[in-house]
Amino acid sequence: MEFALNRIKAVCLASMVCGLMLPTAIAEPATETKPAKDKFRADQRRYWAFQPLNPPSAPRVADSAWVRNPIDAFVLAKLEEKSLKPGPQADKITLLRRAHFDLTGVPPTLAEVDAFLADASPNAYEKVVDQLLASPKYGERWARHWLDLARFAESDGFRADEVRPNAWRYRDYVIRAFNSDKPYNRFVQEQIAGDEMWPDDLEAHVATAFNRHYPDEYNAQNLRQRRQQILDDVTDTTGAVFMGLTFECARCHDHKFDPILHSDYYRLQAFFSNVSSDDEFPMLSKADYSEYQRKLGIWQGKTAEIRAEMQKLLTAARTKSRKARYMAYVDEVQQALDKPLPERSPIELWMADKAKYFMNATDESLAAGLKGEAKDQWKKLQAELDKFKDLHPGQVPKGTGLTELTATPIPTHVLSAGAYNRPLDEVQPGVLQILQPGPAKLEPVASGSTGRRTALAKWLTAEDNPLTARVMANRIWHYHFGRGIVASPSDFGRMGERRTHPELLDWLAKEFVKNGWSMKQLHRIIMTSNTYRQSSNYRSDAAEKDPENRLLWRYHRHRLESEAVRDTALSVAGVLNPAMYGPSVRPPLPKGMPDGAWKTSPDEADQRRRSIYTFIRRNNLYPMLDVFDMPDTHLSCGRRGETTTAPQALTYLNNEQTIDWAAKLAGQVLQQAGSDPSKQVELVYRMAYSRQPNNSEKDTALTFFRQHQTILEERVKAGGKVVTPATKVAGVSTEQAAVLVDFCHAIFNSSEFVYIN
Amino acid sequence: MDMTEQHNEAWRSRRDFLRRTSGLGGLALSSLLAADALSAAPSKEVNPLAMKAPHHAPKAKSVIWLFMEGGPSHIDTFDPKPMLEKLAGQPLPASFGKPVTAMGTANNTLMPSKRKWKQYGQSGTWVSDWYNHVAQHADDLAVVRSCWADGLNHVGSVCQMNTGSILGGRPSMGAWTLYGLGAANQDLPAFVVLADEKPVTGGPKNWSSGFLPGTYQGTLFRRDGAPILYLDTPETVGAKQQRSKLDLIGKLNRQFSQQKEDDTDLQARLNSYELAYRMQSAAPEAVDLTQESEATKKLYGMDEERTAKYGSNLLLARRLVERGVRFVEAYCGSGSLWDAHTDMEGNHSKWCGASDKPIAGLLTDLKARGLLDETLVVWGGEFGRTPFNEQGDGRDHNPWGFTIWMAGGGIKPGQTLGTTDEIGLRAVDRPVHVHDIHATILHLLGLNHLDLTYMHNGRAERPTIVSGNLIKELYS
Repeated sequence: MEFALNRIKAVCLASMVCGLMLPTAIAEPATETKPAKDKFRADQRRYWAFQPLNPPSAPRVADSAWVRNPIDAFVLAKLEEKSLKPGPQADKITLLRRAHFDLTGVPPTLAEVDAFLADASPNAYEKVVDQLLASPKYGERWARHWLDLARFAESDGFRADEVRPNAWRYRDYVIRAFNSDKPYNRFVQEQIAGDEMWPDDLEAHVATAFNRHYPDEYNAQNLRQRRQQILDDVTDTTGAVFMGLTFECARCHDHKFDPILHSDYYRLQAFFSNVSSDDEFPMLSKADYSEYQRKLGIWQGKTAEIRAEMQKLLTAARTKSRKARYMAYVDEVQQALDKPLPERSPIELWMADKAKYFMNATDESLAAGLKGEAKDQWKKLQAELDKFKDLHPGQVPKGTGLTELTATPIPTHVLSAGAYNRPLDEVQPGVLQILQPGPAKLEPVASGSTGRRTALAKWLTAEDNPLTARVMANRIWHYHFGRGIVASPSDFGRMGERRTHPELLDWLAKEFVKNGWSMKQLHRIIMTSNTYRQSSNYRSDAAEKDPENRLLWRYHRHRLESEAVRDTALSVAGVLNPAMYGPSVRPPLPKGMPDGAWKTSPDEADQRRRSIYTFIRRNNLYPMLDVFDMPDTHLSCGRRGETTTAPQALTYLNNEQTIDWAAKLAGQVLQQAGSDPSKQVELVYRMAYSRQPNNSEKDTALTFFRQHQTILEERVKAGGKVVTPATKVAGVSTEQAAVLVDFCHAIFNSSEFVYIN
Repeated sequence: MDMTEQHNEAWRSRRDFLRRTSGLGGLALSSLLAADALSAAPSKEVNPLAMKAPHHAPKAKSVIWLFMEGGPSHIDTFDPKPMLEKLAGQPLPASFGKPVTAMGTANNTLMPSKRKWKQYGQSGTWVSDWYNHVAQHADDLAVVRSCWADGLNHVGSVCQMNTGSILGGRPSMGAWTLYGLGAANQDLPAFVVLADEKPVTGGPKNWSSGFLPGTYQGTLFRRDGAPILYLDTPETVGAKQQRSKLDLIGKLNRQFSQQKEDDTDLQARLNSYELAYRMQSAAPEAVDLTQESEATKKLYGMDEERTAKYGSNLLLARRLVERGVRFVEAYCGSGSLWDAHTDMEGNHSKWCGASDKPIAGLLTDLKARGLLDETLVVWGGEFGRTPFNEQGDGRDHNPWGFTIWMAGGGIKPGQTLGTTDEIGLRAVDRPVHVHDIHATILHLLGLNHLDLTYMHNGRAERPTIVSGNLIKELYS
């Protein structure tokens, strides 16, 4: 052991293995040396993640009665190897809540609980799974998982953190894609190259925003560096999300553990070398857009003179502003801007295109600086212009995504130590050389771009691609069980987690592809297995052999994610606004947030939308979501944290919003259960936990009712405020109603409320 | 060897490795388990902020980082450059090349400092008349004049000074410290950020836990009202009522935990409500400056308008470290207000003025209370400023050479380390990178930056990424 440890240190010091002591080095066969001509070691060539899918048939098991579908056979076989028994099936209510949370992110309603309990048919549960998969709430739940991977946000990050006003269209696209069960291969193609492959399909263009969600600094002075940062983000994210590989380790040198060469990093990057953000494409069909332009042309014709006059007023300010911004750029950018369009090289075109947004101050901002006579003149002209308002066809709805400015690609070089200004050899687009050593085959595309991304999209979704289906099947498993078969869903490499059920993973991936890459079909197979239906109860005998439940002898209890916690509270309170889609909403911020983080949505109903519609500002995440481990959006997130902290408690405890929701729940309870405290407690339990309280729980509640009533009576007597429901019910005093509100509020803060059991 | 097996081997070895190599083994192990397995294993740690053994005997228990945000000019504060007098009004000599600056000012002429300079104390440390009060502590300071960083803009550079990287997403030094050492006071956030003016440039990513568990992130204390979001009980809820409600929550949670005793997450959740409750009283007590004497307040400049804000933050910082808070970052001029692209005189007169007396007061106060020995005080910005002018009377950003200083917490005081070139443009002798500063701070806290690792996306990440050398002269 001493020797092994020394060896790691030696490896690290010699090669500056990212300066780290990486213990896996111990496991490397010490004697194996690289063959002279092969860039890869034999063990790298044999590594499972790069092998074709090869699922064996479902294994034989002793307890064949437990096997409902092949998943169970694979899981049970592993359990039996260790003489472990699977857990009993969870009770009906637990199963129903689990399915609802899992597929929709909110608990079942009273009616749904009653209907399920009343359904004695053998396939009652299967019917529920099908109903939930057909519910539009499914897309709202599962799109959020994808948005984690896409590092989705609606602002740039960096200092200015400028808003991306059309980013929400991508969120809607993902919800629709999940709800319509868009085949995953098509979905991937749209993410990577929707604009090239379906140039007339606006949704496919919106899909390319997947790689537009990078953090960005729009006023950066060094555009070549900015471009490199963007490309690095796109490369890292694409590698992690679709291939489950940590490409970023190969940005500066060959990956130390996985067969990703330094040049592989830039081969992958080269697929994207020509991309440019396309932030304002019209979300109109060609016909509608030409009709729009016709109308706009009429308005432009009638107002040409007025507008020309107005522009004259701004000329001086515009020139000055342009000059100042021009001067801020490094020489290289200034030179690009100085050249006439046809003379610009592809990179100069890219830089000039980016500079455009920074250099062009808006009319409004320039006009705001006008003074004296010019200001009066501007106002007068503006009033003139306003007379033609009725002729103006209004703002075009706009989308954001990617495009390419030219069919001539910007060359991609391997970069020494990843530095944008230290290019080494030029590379052509290509996939991992361990899988396909030559450059990618490019074919012309209709959209007038390079076709590079189309080639990547087709490779990723080829039926024999060993990575894509496995990675996604594992992700879906991860979200269902709280832990993937590979527990590091974005790292299938050797430093990632070891597979717990290799054959099952291959079987799932194959099944996924066989079923036309249908995600809903995969959910159905997983959720109807006996493996998924197991109780989460602890068994000491099993825990002794497998303390971390890697072999799945029980269901893994876990906390709801931030969005689901909030949505559940809104839903149980009966105030969740089910409106779908559209620009994001801004619920109220707590006291103490920075001024200007955002303006609360004026329509109160917008403050009660599902959390997926909450505006995502990179530098100021919504505190109620942030506090429960919402990803920070600067990097793709394949597995969320699951922390338990005091600020989480404070956020739901001392929050006027959650108290208000509790009052709403209390109001419903009063209306339906009347003045009998015992009936009130029962109804709260049924609404919040989908079950009846047991006697001891009822006792606890009623004791609280009595004691708390005394406290509140004293408080009211002393002139203190209490929160009561809007509804008044005969025989219930103010204090009693306020007790019920506090009881409901405590329920919102309870563990049972926020755990999938 | 079958790859699956081999991988398994590696996985087990990692645990072995961590167990054997350092005192951090237990910590890293449990964190790995927490990160690896979201399952409810009985071995899982309940309180990730429990005190942990350092790697070696620490010299400092806490850090107070005085962050002059926007870039204080080193050549007008701690790094005098007489040569600039001679070259005043001339362009940058060709031998210096043409640096790419934030505002494209490298063709502008050189601008000498207008300050009066003196050497102070036994050490003879040079300090300009913008820092007259701090100068009285010259023999407490270790001034490093040869710092350099990678970023050109505020957001990247502030981020790097906090996290090591100009791009967001990595843990800040405060988060690494908590990950390594845990919290000494369980009733208060252990990593606190104080801002005096506008929001800190780049926002929360500067005190983020990055890929570390969220519990290690810094807590921004708000200036007005409650220092923590949702700390105050709403006015519709009385104290007895709150306690009664919390008792009920405790009972509900215990009822749910029955038959689930193995689930330490549920136990942690129970604890989190009690901690929240304690924090509700502990945090307001900690931030209550009315408990301090008038003399103390005066010491920090709280009686003068221009020093009142930063002074009250530094007094608060002292109260926090006194109560066991590990890491306090006190931003001065938050929101890039030291960013003197024009009017150096006006800008720095204001911000040096705002910080001089409070900083001197803090050092005096810490010393008087015997806290300076165990509190590392760090002064600096995200970069310095250029020797050439911008718009006639300002200076541009300078990440190639700038000054920080440290005091207390095991620092060998009364020394000046490293030099910049004759005009203060670049660090030339004994250059010190941001990563070196980080490695040294962690070292003083008892942590070895090479051993403080966390597995993330297949890499054992550490605070200094791939670099970091200890600045040994500062403490030995």
